[in-house]
Amino acid sequence: MKIGLEVHVALPTDSKLFCSCKAYSEEPNSSICPICMGLPGSKPMLNEKALMLGVSIAKALGCKVPEKISFSRKVYFYPDLPKSYQITQVDAPVGHSGTLEADGVSIGIRRIQLEEDPAKIIREEEYTLLDFNRSGVPLVEIVTEPDIKSEAILRAFLTELKSILYYLGVDINKEFKADLNISVAEQRVEIKNITGTKNIIDAAKYEIERQNKLVSANQKVPSETRSYNEAKMITVPSREKESDEEYGFIYDPDLSEYSTASIKAKKAVFASRIAKEYASKYKANAQTLAELVLFNRDALEMIERWKEKYEMKALIGSIELLEKYGIMDINERAMARLLDMVSKGSYPDKETLMKIYGGEEVEAKQIDIKLIDKEISEYIKRNPRIVEEYRKNPKAINFMVGEITKKYKVHPRIISERLNLIFAGK
Amino acid sequence: MSSSIKEFQSKEKPEGYYKKLVNGLSEVNKQLGAFLNINETIKDGFPFSVKDNLCVRDVETKAGSEILSGYIPPFNATCVERLSSSKFSFLGKTSMDEFGFGSFGLNTMCVAKNPFNTAYVAGGSSSGAAVATSILKYHVALAESTGGSISNPAAFCGVVGFTPTYGAISRYGLVDYANSLDKIGIMARSSEDIRTVFDIVKGPDSYDSTCVGIKFTNVNNKKIFLIKQLLDATDEKVRSEFDKLVSKIREMGYSVEEKSLEFIEKAIPAYYIISMAEASTNLAKYNGYKYGFKNENFSEEYNRFFTESRSKFGVEAKRRVVLGTFVRSASVKEKYYRKALKVRSLLIREIGKLLKNGFILTPTMPITTPKIEKAVSLTPVEAYRMDILTIPPSICGFPHVSFPYSYPNGMPLGAQIISDHFNDYALLDFVKSWETSFRYKFKYNIGDIR
Repeated sequence: MKIGLEVHVALPTDSKLFCSCKAYSEEPNSSICPICMGLPGSKPMLNEKALMLGVSIAKALGCKVPEKISFSRKVYFYPDLPKSYQITQVDAPVGHSGTLEADGVSIGIRRIQLEEDPAKIIREEEYTLLDFNRSGVPLVEIVTEPDIKSEAILRAFLTELKSILYYLGVDINKEFKADLNISVAEQRVEIKNITGTKNIIDAAKYEIERQNKLVSANQKVPSETRSYNEAKMITVPSREKESDEEYGFIYDPDLSEYSTASIKAKKAVFASRIAKEYASKYKANAQTLAELVLFNRDALEMIERWKEKYEMKALIGSIELLEKYGIMDINERAMARLLDMVSKGSYPDKETLMKIYGGEEVEAKQIDIKLIDKEISEYIKRNPRIVEEYRKNPKAINFMVGEITKKYKVHPRIISERLNLIFAGK
Repeated sequence: MSSSIKEFQSKEKPEGYYKKLVNGLSEVNKQLGAFLNINETIKDGFPFSVKDNLCVRDVETKAGSEILSGYIPPFNATCVERLSSSKFSFLGKTSMDEFGFGSFGLNTMCVAKNPFNTAYVAGGSSSGAAVATSILKYHVALAESTGGSISNPAAFCGVVGFTPTYGAISRYGLVDYANSLDKIGIMARSSEDIRTVFDIVKGPDSYDSTCVGIKFTNVNNKKIFLIKQLLDATDEKVRSEFDKLVSKIREMGYSVEEKSLEFIEKAIPAYYIISMAEASTNLAKYNGYKYGFKNENFSEEYNRFFTESRSKFGVEAKRRVVLGTFVRSASVKEKYYRKALKVRSLLIREIGKLLKNGFILTPTMPITTPKIEKAVSLTPVEAYRMDILTIPPSICGFPHVSFPYSYPNGMPLGAQIISDHFNDYALLDFVKSWETSFRYKFKYNIGDIR
């Protein structure tokens, strides 16, 4: 099985890709000008910030960045496209031939290109509306090789990509948009225009199953374009769009070639790689650490700052706690106090935490594990069915964990650990 | 010939001057069709006209096409803006072939006619600009050329037509024909007036990334090259007149040498492929619901809606959209579009070598001014071949000036002088020295101040 992806990401620039209109505005058609409306006589001017971000993404994904990049016109007729052509990149995109490592699997990145978003179409029953605020918003399209071989790798790839983009500052709370190419057998099926990571994965899941069924029944999988129906969670055949033949790409002669030599690309941060490295170096759970830092630069910064000085497990626990209450600017002395408490097994409530944050001295008591064990045993005695329920669904113990956490101000993870031991012992 | 701009500014204008100017012009325009509209509110400044494919704020801009009728741009083209804020006043929009597609000014609703004899063409595609320059005593024209649209009508109407280096004047506000070939230029009755206007409108513009701030040179090696293949393509009558011009230029102290450039004839197919490919993408935006002609039938299926709207294009525009779309299709792109780009690079390199050592001089047009009825009967390919002399500098973006040099049978003839990129001022100096010994003729002097 082969899965390839084309992911579209909107770039967080102030202005649009080819004009000075604000890139993101609420009031429909409030951020438009002759350029993004495609008025005769207007010409595009490249937003250098978008180019910098495009090059940064390309470099982060190990792509080759051409010395000179150029833009092309992709011609097709649709009401959302004011010029009836989209300015995109074909021959010299911001990057090509890269790779991204996801869950130990290397996924080839075929190309990364900058392009403009068309306007937004709002379909009502009786009429259709067009919002040109979106026309000209800078997009980056990331095209992978068909190297993704399972749903799990697809998920890992999307998470990894999102994390890299997050650390490059490409994080505008906009969902990924993607086209999926899936071939279980020889024929390739393309699923166009899926919005959101969850939908991308669900669509892939459905499509793999659908194609598998056809193959097992000795039926051919027709090569076609499909779309994803979010409500029904199925893919359905869709209208064929133009092929490359009809797009008739030519260079956009309004835009010169742009040199990439002097572009100062943003430095990439590979949070998952760092999490893996520190987990083994400082003896911590790799997944817990990854979950903490993948999309949290404050957390990563605190880990970097204190990793040598404090025990990693306590550090992770403390940062989780701080994050829970939205504290990201704790000073060294307060942090030391918090770490002292957490490393003794304590789990301060909001009140205690705010005291620590405010600089007050709070006594750190060593938690008596025996007491916790006793509490758990008594709880089980009162509710004997919990063991059976836990085996069916580990979430069944959440209520009990919560109760004990509250009572003893112990980290919930410690209770979970004790529980596991106790259950295993029975 | 001295600067009419300075002369105009130094003269006291009689009362009601501009009103008389507008009335006089309107009267003559009825026969000659140079202007699509005339600014009746003009009340001061030196008058300039604007080719209809350049945007003037709040003035209908159609680029000679019915599909754009009703398009009122909310902004000025950069060149219009710069002139307007320098004591120049907008006089009106001038007629042209639809989107610049034509060599005789006939591919449009408003056909401009030759002021020397209305049975003859004015040339194209900047037909109205040339006629306006030929009939107005104090006036300059903002025009545009893609493959010779300034030189050609300037020659047929007996005015000076300057097409600067590609990228010297901002194209912002130009309704595109072929963006990598489109050049905004100037027509006037003297090289001096052109220089004055060029000084104002040239230079970098943050709204056109192909308009660069490269420094101009002014190199004149007193050397003229004639190109054998281009002379061979010229008809006998023009050739004999042109030979007389060459003798005069020798007398001006230039050494003249004939060169053979075999590949130069490839310029025509390469030009038409690139220009049509680009034009077919530029014209894609005219689909009847945003500006200009509006198709009210919104309930129709997309393809039908677009097809219906686009039936408003003229025959030549349709031909270029179809051909242009074909040559950039994936399966034949290598054979046509990409090959044409290679030919262009080769032409720039090879002709550029020659221009490092001197100017190239050619007749502007290979024929004398044709009658309208004759031009109408030409096939498209015959018409395209009329551009054989103007296309080589045009496809390469080399600056060139067409200037009048003879009046056989009372009709003007023009010659074209070509130089290297950004050596524009050397050309204007050359024409200025020509003007010290040759007096241009005009049939009208509307707006003259006695």
